[in-house]
Amino acid sequence: MHDNPIDTSIYAAVTEAIQGEARRILSEGHVAAVVGYAAARRKGSAQPVVVTRADDAGKLIFSAACVNNLAVYLTKARKEIPKSGKIGIVVKGCDLKALVGLMGESQLKREELYLIGVPCAGVLASTIQPDTALTAGTIAPKCRECDAHLPTGCDFVPARQPVTPELEKHYSAEIARLEAMTPAERWAYWKGQFKKCIKCYACRQVCPFCFCEQCLCDRNKPQMVETTPRPAGNFAWHIVRAMHLAGRCAGCAECERVCPMDIPLNLLNRKMAKELKELYDYEAGFEVREKGPLATYDEKDDQSFIK
Amino acid sequence: MHPEKTKHAFEPKIIAFVCTWCTYAGADLAGTSRMQYPANVRVLKFPCTGRIDPVFILKAFQQGADGVLVSGCHPGDCHYIAGNFHARRRFAAFRKLLEFVGVDLGRLQFSWVSAAEGGKWVEMVTGLTERVRLMGPMQEFKELALEEQWSGAINTPELQEAYNSI
Repeated sequence: MHDNPIDTSIYAAVTEAIQGEARRILSEGHVAAVVGYAAARRKGSAQPVVVTRADDAGKLIFSAACVNNLAVYLTKARKEIPKSGKIGIVVKGCDLKALVGLMGESQLKREELYLIGVPCAGVLASTIQPDTALTAGTIAPKCRECDAHLPTGCDFVPARQPVTPELEKHYSAEIARLEAMTPAERWAYWKGQFKKCIKCYACRQVCPFCFCEQCLCDRNKPQMVETTPRPAGNFAWHIVRAMHLAGRCAGCAECERVCPMDIPLNLLNRKMAKELKELYDYEAGFEVREKGPLATYDEKDDQSFIK
Repeated sequence: MHPEKTKHAFEPKIIAFVCTWCTYAGADLAGTSRMQYPANVRVLKFPCTGRIDPVFILKAFQQGADGVLVSGCHPGDCHYIAGNFHARRRFAAFRKLLEFVGVDLGRLQFSWVSAAEGGKWVEMVTGLTERVRLMGPMQEFKELALEEQWSGAINTPELQEAYNSI
């Protein structure tokens, strides 16, 4: 069951299409640069790359090892990309949701971007062994419940249809398992998880939505969140993080992927997404919305919890 | 004049985050009307419920609160037009998050208390204090705060051996 291979045969054609399109837009001067994936040194591995010359377009690839959400390069690392001209970017469906969220928050402008969408059958959970075949066992948990295999609203999408078998849902099952516990059991579970945190802030660094110039958690007057990697500060950090991403998180699960201590960070994000869907019928999608669920209100909102 | 006070083994510490225009005035009314309510409550005044960041609630629990009350104007009565509507959504989400990490929501109370509702304020404070008194002290966050740790817990035989030899 877990060895069931997932068909990634379209990735070769997708790679070719991305290269062709990148070459075209770069040589015709539509964009100043294309942010995409290139093969890295180890066999089968991939790394983010910024291509600025049409000759280099051949470097671009797409494979199951292309796990990164490149949207992060358009917010925090924006200064490193030439300011003049449009930027082309290779996006999977989940990455596009993040970009759309950023557009809604006025961090990016659609007209400044040239989106190259990728029909995606899924990527690897871990790139420690980048040459592994994509199977039901090695696919990233987020891809198991992905509803965005084919991005829409892009400037260019290779005409390929990914084959997407129905897989066991990871996050939904985990959330249901935790919800069935008593509060004390849940507390013990999260205490155990947060205890591992070393406060490296990789989750913050990799998140496209964590773009504040100064994070609340770095401020010390007043200090709202203890900065040392002790249980109290860890707990506060993860709660604040989940709260600040509630209604914004697009579910790219980069936080969870980069966590060196394997804390199930996306579980908190998915739980909040689930609640906001139930409460306010909001879901991250491909449509740019000016305001997220927590930045707006309805006079008829549920207030059964308020006396 | 004062009614007989009963001695309790445990006096909970309750933090109330209130908006200055409605609930604070309501609490003031309760005071000027000489209504009695538990002295366990510490009132913190904010311009609006919309100013109350969820992190304040977290901080209150971390600093030793056993219960938290958040109270402001009724919907439609906000001095800043929509502050409490925004707060309502934020807290609806926040309490779900706290519930998910295992905080007992019995310790967290949200209410709308207007400037005319001194009686409701007394009711809220008394209700929460008595409920939290029955639940006992909030241990979880206090234990966290007291816990020192080294993130690499001693869980390998080599480390354990090295530790034992110290």
